[in-house]
Amino acid sequence: MDASEVEFVAEKEVVQIIPNFSLDKIYLIGGDLGPFNPGLPVNVPVWLALNLKQRQKCRIVPPEWMDVDKLEEMRDLERKEETFTPVPSPYYMELTKLLLNHASDNIPKADEIRTLVKDLWDTRIAKLRLSADSFINQQEAHAKLDNLTLMEVNTIRAFLLDSLNCMYKLRSNLQPGSTKGQSNDY
Amino acid sequence: MAAQSYFPVPPGVGMEENFFSLDDILLSQERLPSRTECTFPRLGFLEKSTDSPHILEGSKMELPLWLAKGLYERKRRVLSVELPKVYKEGWRTVFTADPNVVDLHKMGPYYYGLGSQMLNFDSPENPEIAQALLQTFIGRFRRTMDSSQNAYNEDTSAFVEKLDCLEKSLFKSGQSGLNGFQSWEKGQASQLTASSLVLNYRKRKINDLQP
Repeated sequence: MDASEVEFVAEKEVVQIIPNFSLDKIYLIGGDLGPFNPGLPVNVPVWLALNLKQRQKCRIVPPEWMDVDKLEEMRDLERKEETFTPVPSPYYMELTKLLLNHASDNIPKADEIRTLVKDLWDTRIAKLRLSADSFINQQEAHAKLDNLTLMEVNTIRAFLLDSLNCMYKLRSNLQPGSTKGQSNDY
Repeated sequence: MAAQSYFPVPPGVGMEENFFSLDDILLSQERLPSRTECTFPRLGFLEKSTDSPHILEGSKMELPLWLAKGLYERKRRVLSVELPKVYKEGWRTVFTADPNVVDLHKMGPYYYGLGSQMLNFDSPENPEIAQALLQTFIGRFRRTMDSSQNAYNEDTSAFVEKLDCLEKSLFKSGQSGLNGFQSWEKGQASQLTASSLVLNYRKRKINDLQP
């Protein structure tokens, strides 16, 4: 999976906007989007919010978790804990990038938020690598990781799967005769 | 999107090679010191050191892996293959002591692959060889993972040249994951760029034709 594909999936998340136009309720295949009245907040998916913002038809309200104090707390909690802490939103990385690139004027202290989210990301990736390393070192058969987001999984997926495959094949060398005639799929 | 039109067949890391894998084909070129257990009549012209018309029993030759594998058979005792020194006791202790220090590319670029193939030859040290291969891989994994995930836009050739071919492909997949993420974060993923095919094909562009 590409990073852009993960971003595409993330655009389905709901965010609040304040439109400056009026429109009746629209009925889309994915669901209904409520009537738009200027000045009244309405919940829409991120893809629509970004489109409207680019056409200067709305103002984006930052999500609750996108706040300097809250993110600082989460970052410090993440640094203290050894396992993964619950994440502000399952797509925090993508939403940060999208909203801060297109709507940074609507979000207070945008640069600080960007730095904090990057710190959070780096801590989580470091933990992920540590657990991948201990996974391989102890030759475990399976591992359970809570609270991982799709983006983090995506960056490590190719490498981890390939190395686990190699490790499996080298392990099967230890039991000769049980693996003759294994089938490969192309 | 990085869609490939050509999916190379990966090497079979275990005891069976993949027939179509280029890595395995190159791997089977490695020469092994071996000793014939019976005479090969009328093939003496292949053995340059002696003048006899036959290859005598007990003559030592260096045979490539593909030939040795084909000729090897327990019951008929045609050939006996010696382990290359990298898989012997001495080197195995070096690997268990610290796998990260060794230059695996110099030890034969296909250390893991050849090691797995050696297990086909039923030597009494087989379990130790298999164990040594596994432990070396696990020991070097951390270094490979760290450098592949962290070296963005840096010159990694000094590290990569000490890696075996298997580890090189792992390193490459780690790097591609990292590069994909970084280029997305910079926003390059949504920029339209001319395809490298078009650039290399050097078609005449309309701007060049018109004065």
